[in-house]
Amino acid sequence: MKKFLVLLAMVSVLFVSCQKKEAAAPEAKVEEKKEEIVIGALIRNTDEQFVADYADVLKGLAADAGVTLKLQDSRGDMAAQLDQMNTLLVQGVKHFVVVANVSEATEDMAKAIHAKGGSAAFSNIQPSVEALKVGPNFFLASSPETVAGTFQAQILDEYFTANPEKMANGDPDAIDAVFIYGQLGHPAQVYRTNAVKQGLIDAGYKLNVVAEDTANWKPSEAQSKMDAWISAYGGEFDVVIANNDGMALGAVESLITNGYMDDPNDPTKDIDGDGLVLSIPVVGVDATQVAVKAMDEKKLLGTVLQDAVGQATTAFELAMMMATEGSAAGKSAWGIAPLTAPIAEAPANDAAIVGQCYLVPFKAVTMSNYKEFMQ
Amino acid sequence: MENTNSKIAGIKIPAKLKNILSTHTSLITFIAMLIFLGVITNGAALRIGSLQNLVVAEAVRAFAALGVGMIIITRGIDLSLGQVIGLSACVASSFSQTADYNSALYAGQEFALWVPVVAGITVGALFGLFNGILVAYGNIPPFIATLGSMSIARGFKLIYTQASTLGSLKNEYKVISQGFLGPIPYLLLYVLVAAFVIWVLMNHTKQGKSIYAIGGNAMAAKVSGINVKAQLVRVYLYAGILYGIAGILLSARLGLANPLTGNDMELDAIAAVTVGGISHAGGVGTVGGMMIGLMTLGLINFGMTFLGVNSYFQLLVKGGIIILAVYMDMRKHSRKE
Repeated sequence: MKKFLVLLAMVSVLFVSCQKKEAAAPEAKVEEKKEEIVIGALIRNTDEQFVADYADVLKGLAADAGVTLKLQDSRGDMAAQLDQMNTLLVQGVKHFVVVANVSEATEDMAKAIHAKGGSAAFSNIQPSVEALKVGPNFFLASSPETVAGTFQAQILDEYFTANPEKMANGDPDAIDAVFIYGQLGHPAQVYRTNAVKQGLIDAGYKLNVVAEDTANWKPSEAQSKMDAWISAYGGEFDVVIANNDGMALGAVESLITNGYMDDPNDPTKDIDGDGLVLSIPVVGVDATQVAVKAMDEKKLLGTVLQDAVGQATTAFELAMMMATEGSAAGKSAWGIAPLTAPIAEAPANDAAIVGQCYLVPFKAVTMSNYKEFMQ
Repeated sequence: MENTNSKIAGIKIPAKLKNILSTHTSLITFIAMLIFLGVITNGAALRIGSLQNLVVAEAVRAFAALGVGMIIITRGIDLSLGQVIGLSACVASSFSQTADYNSALYAGQEFALWVPVVAGITVGALFGLFNGILVAYGNIPPFIATLGSMSIARGFKLIYTQASTLGSLKNEYKVISQGFLGPIPYLLLYVLVAAFVIWVLMNHTKQGKSIYAIGGNAMAAKVSGINVKAQLVRVYLYAGILYGIAGILLSARLGLANPLTGNDMELDAIAAVTVGGISHAGGVGTVGGMMIGLMTLGLINFGMTFLGVNSYFQLLVKGGIIILAVYMDMRKHSRKE
């Protein structure tokens, strides 16, 4: 108990004594701010390749512009991200680039930043409409996740239109699909999945989900899931749809080892002329270099480029405009003009805040254009 | 509290200074770190705003630490706590979403404020009871029993939320965690109350003595007439209730809950109490120690964020400190033996 009381006393003393210090500090702070521009970056999780690329782009941009970038990685923990935001706010950081963990948290984040007179460009993970309504200094600089799913559906639509005989497995009138998800509940998992399912249905297909499960973004988990499904449902599915490229490639490996090839003796032969050496098409998202190479080897049907450079640069330029000019209203960032009319998807579907939305295009990577994406 | 400690260990250290150093290791470490951080940031890290952030950030974990701390004193462990907190957060959130939110789990329905609170605590209590029965009456090692219930809680969390985020929580619910009494966050008040209650339980009740006795030597405790099984179930139940409260506070603080809420919190809580001197050999540990351990790790987190240390290095530092704390603890105990 003694320890506890000592601690309690200490904390109370600090609370009281520090309050006085802060009251005396503001004048000094104002002077500091004039000297250098500081941009805060609250980043979801750099364990993920895309987010790591995004963070690297930000660091490069900040170095080139000669500004201080305070980058915080919350490693997927929403509570940690709030703590980090609060810490930066206490340090006097005003202008933020935010890759949030959860869309639903963006309103509270915007309010906290707004209360200190700051701004934020929400990127990669969509902010809520309410977050953008907190004030004109809050922006969307992102590619809606659902677009990735929609592009997957388009790639598959083209494939099955050209090769209708490939729907013969399982129910011949339906696309019998196996879904490999990222971490369940992750925004990219939820939005991409819903969009690809809806996209196929909108294109007029009957969709039959043969099997679906998470592989937590991991190729190895995807491969073992796929191995198990091939034992259980071998021959009953037409396509494998994965939420990212890593898992798509795990599924490709499984299909190869289980003999789902046009010619199991020669893994380079496309006998049925569908453009693939595998007998079952697989699609992913991210357009990683490994995935593009797999497309070159005719092992992967398609993927979707989520543009880390485009998203990060747009968000960074918005934050810089806010820091240097105090407003970004009506101005373009990374050559992208703010939206002028609402689109179908939240948050850019609300007319009141479309002017705060900067949509960075996703790009479908298909058999006909993949070479453009090889580095 | 230190008296209780040394009685259990059954030894008296003669030199006064040595006594202070060894019994207050974690407190001294904490103060040293606080001063160090204050000095290298010219006091900036110790402003009121920073301290408020620190307290708010650690409050939910404090409930987790109190729960698992008691369990570790009985020579048990609880791996399910993060998932139970997450499930409780999700259940509580589902009853506190604004009625006009279209994507609400119970869209169009308005619940009184007590509904999410009772629901969240109930979830925690049920899991605590379940864990306690598995450990006490099923004789399943705590590590395995709670590993199982961790997965069950995670499954329930995904099923209940349908893998989506439960957002748009009512302001009156969010105020539970986001409110301030002057400069003092409500969360700090809850932690103080909970820590005081557990401190009374552990130090001034028969049950508290039984808990220490069970951790020290379960067989001896049984022989001396303690109903070990019933006491164990109670400890897990109390811990479950604390996790339930933690879930409510976490969701009110975030203004949402999703299937990822609570993930990995077991590691943070176990690490915190370990740093605070709660021995995994059982029978040793104090509520003050738990809180100091928690604040120490919290300060490390906060300090490294404040100084902008790369998050990958933060993991290394945290891991190193945990290993060091356990090593010191083991050394202390092997010397005693």
